[in-house]
Amino acid sequence: MKNRVRFVGLLAAAGLALVATAAGAEPLVPLAPRPAPKAEQVELGKFLFHDTRLSGDAAISCAKCHDPKKGWGDGQALSTGYPGSEYFRNTQTILNAAHYRRSYWDGRMDGRDLATLVRDHLTEAHFMQADGRLLIERLRQVPEYEAMFQKAFGGEPSYGRILNAVAAFVQTVTSRNVPVDRFLKGEATALSPAAQEGLKLFQGKAGCIVCHDGALLSDQKFHALGVPENLAVFRDPLRHITFRRFLKTLGAPNYDNLREDVGLYGVTKEPPDRGKFRTPSLREVALTAPYMHNGSLPTLEAVVEFYDRGGGSHANKSPLLRPLGLGDGEKRALVEFLKALTGEAVVVEPPALPEYKLRTLGKN
Amino acid sequence: MRRPRGAKLIALVAAILVGGALTVTAVTAQSQKFPALGPLPPVPVPRDNPMSAAKVELGRLLFFDPRLSGDASTSCASCHNPESGWGDGADVSRGYPGTQHWRNSQTVLNAAYYTKLFWAGEVTSLEGQADAAASGNVAGNGDGMMMEERLRQIPEYVRRFKAVFGTDRPLIGDAWKAISAFERTLVSKAENVPFDRFAKGDAKALGEAARRGLALFSGKAGCIQCHNGPLLSDENYHNLGVPKSPVFEEDPLRQITLRYQHVSRGVPEKVYRTADTDLGLYYTTKQDRDRGKFRTPSLRELKYTAPYMHNGVFFTLPEVIDFYDKAGGDDPGKSPRLRPLRLTAEEKKDLEAFLLSLSSEKPLVMSPPTLPEYGILQ
Repeated sequence: MKNRVRFVGLLAAAGLALVATAAGAEPLVPLAPRPAPKAEQVELGKFLFHDTRLSGDAAISCAKCHDPKKGWGDGQALSTGYPGSEYFRNTQTILNAAHYRRSYWDGRMDGRDLATLVRDHLTEAHFMQADGRLLIERLRQVPEYEAMFQKAFGGEPSYGRILNAVAAFVQTVTSRNVPVDRFLKGEATALSPAAQEGLKLFQGKAGCIVCHDGALLSDQKFHALGVPENLAVFRDPLRHITFRRFLKTLGAPNYDNLREDVGLYGVTKEPPDRGKFRTPSLREVALTAPYMHNGSLPTLEAVVEFYDRGGGSHANKSPLLRPLGLGDGEKRALVEFLKALTGEAVVVEPPALPEYKLRTLGKN
Repeated sequence: MRRPRGAKLIALVAAILVGGALTVTAVTAQSQKFPALGPLPPVPVPRDNPMSAAKVELGRLLFFDPRLSGDASTSCASCHNPESGWGDGADVSRGYPGTQHWRNSQTVLNAAYYTKLFWAGEVTSLEGQADAAASGNVAGNGDGMMMEERLRQIPEYVRRFKAVFGTDRPLIGDAWKAISAFERTLVSKAENVPFDRFAKGDAKALGEAARRGLALFSGKAGCIQCHNGPLLSDENYHNLGVPKSPVFEEDPLRQITLRYQHVSRGVPEKVYRTADTDLGLYYTTKQDRDRGKFRTPSLRELKYTAPYMHNGVFFTLPEVIDFYDKAGGDDPGKSPRLRPLRLTAEEKKDLEAFLLSLSSEKPLVMSPPTLPEYGILQ
């Protein structure tokens, strides 16, 4: 970390550009494709992803908050959560989510274990509040699902298979044919001149790449930026309820009196981690406004302005953040570059879901 | 135990009846081995949850508050509706949204007297029942910590919990205590119940039919074998061979819940694979002899609590009486107490008249309160 600090200083001083990648950060490269999951599992997972019967009161599906038509997020500053609740952080896109090492804004889950991440979503009181045993019996009540599980897994619905099917589907929701990737592979016309300038700034004067590096454009580490609190978390009773309950489940001290989202601290309980959040990927970022863990920045332009000011104010704010002194043209160029991280639209139409059917009693 | 036997005793009862010297003690003379019928004693109060007016009032609010469920849709009163005899009036209860329950919703009236709650006695206190119902996946589906934080977000509740329990912030366990205290006020008052007035010496409180019904209840019909004591329940478990409810043949959601219950209660795989009915006490003990056994319900207030039985399969009292008259249903584990009763049409009517005299003359109803709202915590 210290090396990077020094390095940023050096950058600012020298006005260097592309050298940055060589020194501290991982180079920007296309995302390495993952081994393709079994097609039948992906297909089943697509159905389950859209099926409200995977939530406790059968009111919401994964797609409620991860809407393919809203960049696989929900387009809101703060997520909705389970009926009767409101959540206290921004819904992240699941585009490329399978590539994270840590999942959620506070990194509390191991991102490489997607099935467990799915499980957390299904069972958490603030998300889908479902009991796994009940889900199995619901799916066993749908003959088409029984057949799909046979094809996908060679057996009947089980909890693990439900999770693995959804995880298989999520793995396929990844960027395709991204202009920046094409440019990095040598297709010079893939980026507009402005976007090319933005790329240089990204890797140079603006220093974005110090944290947003590598194939995912995320160092997958935790930083405090001093993002302004979204006070709706504390002024909206339903969000405050969810906030407190969540931190209580983590065992965070003094959760009753917190009036800031402590981020990683809730997980580690280490004071220096207060206010730190895991760097999100910037892939497809133009589709996923509003931005930051609490959706407090509405547009890419606002995000660039935020960094240009050297970020916000926080006791633990990263020393990597310094005023950038970007000109208006440079800011526009950066935004152009960020927009060029958008690939072909990953379109998945909601499938027509099969209905419950009666079973023969006693033949289970 | 067998049902009262001996024509001699029945003849004696008949003689007393004809003679008109009718008292409860006299009628039940032949069945002294059973706890006597009579008015309910003062409601039992657990030592760790003493009653107070403020606690009862808090419990009343909470009983009607749907925020004590997963999606804030379902209060205690959703399935224990004062307008439906504090049950839900359905044969099998509605359950949590997205599900359908699998058993009849029992009345809360006089539940304070049970030491075994739920149809198969799964819990042993009102406090435990409230928690289990609010949290159960096909009932309230609430998360304890989420519900607790909701209470904390309601300033009026914070004040009331502090006044009642002395806590700075509401605890979910205290919510169950308050609801239980409220439920301990939902009891039959002897002055409103004809049979209770009769038992206290008001001979006119029961008509002749009801009096004959009482004699049958305690004699020829043998009801008192299980429905005894002031609560009219032995709180024991019996298999009556109650017919299977058709809802499990007709409703996919009920089938889901039936299998889910088998899984969640941990029955062996083989039992799950063949599950086609509610196994009652078996879920707790996993003893085959307990299959199909359910805890005897009270008969008090049954005028308001149709349909009857754990699966609500009988919609009227005459159906119930006919069922017992035919020695109950057909089940290999059926209680040997059930024998054909050979009741005449007149006797069945008399029995029904007596059963109805166990209910308050007017139903105990209550309007839902205005609930306090969420506030912003400073």
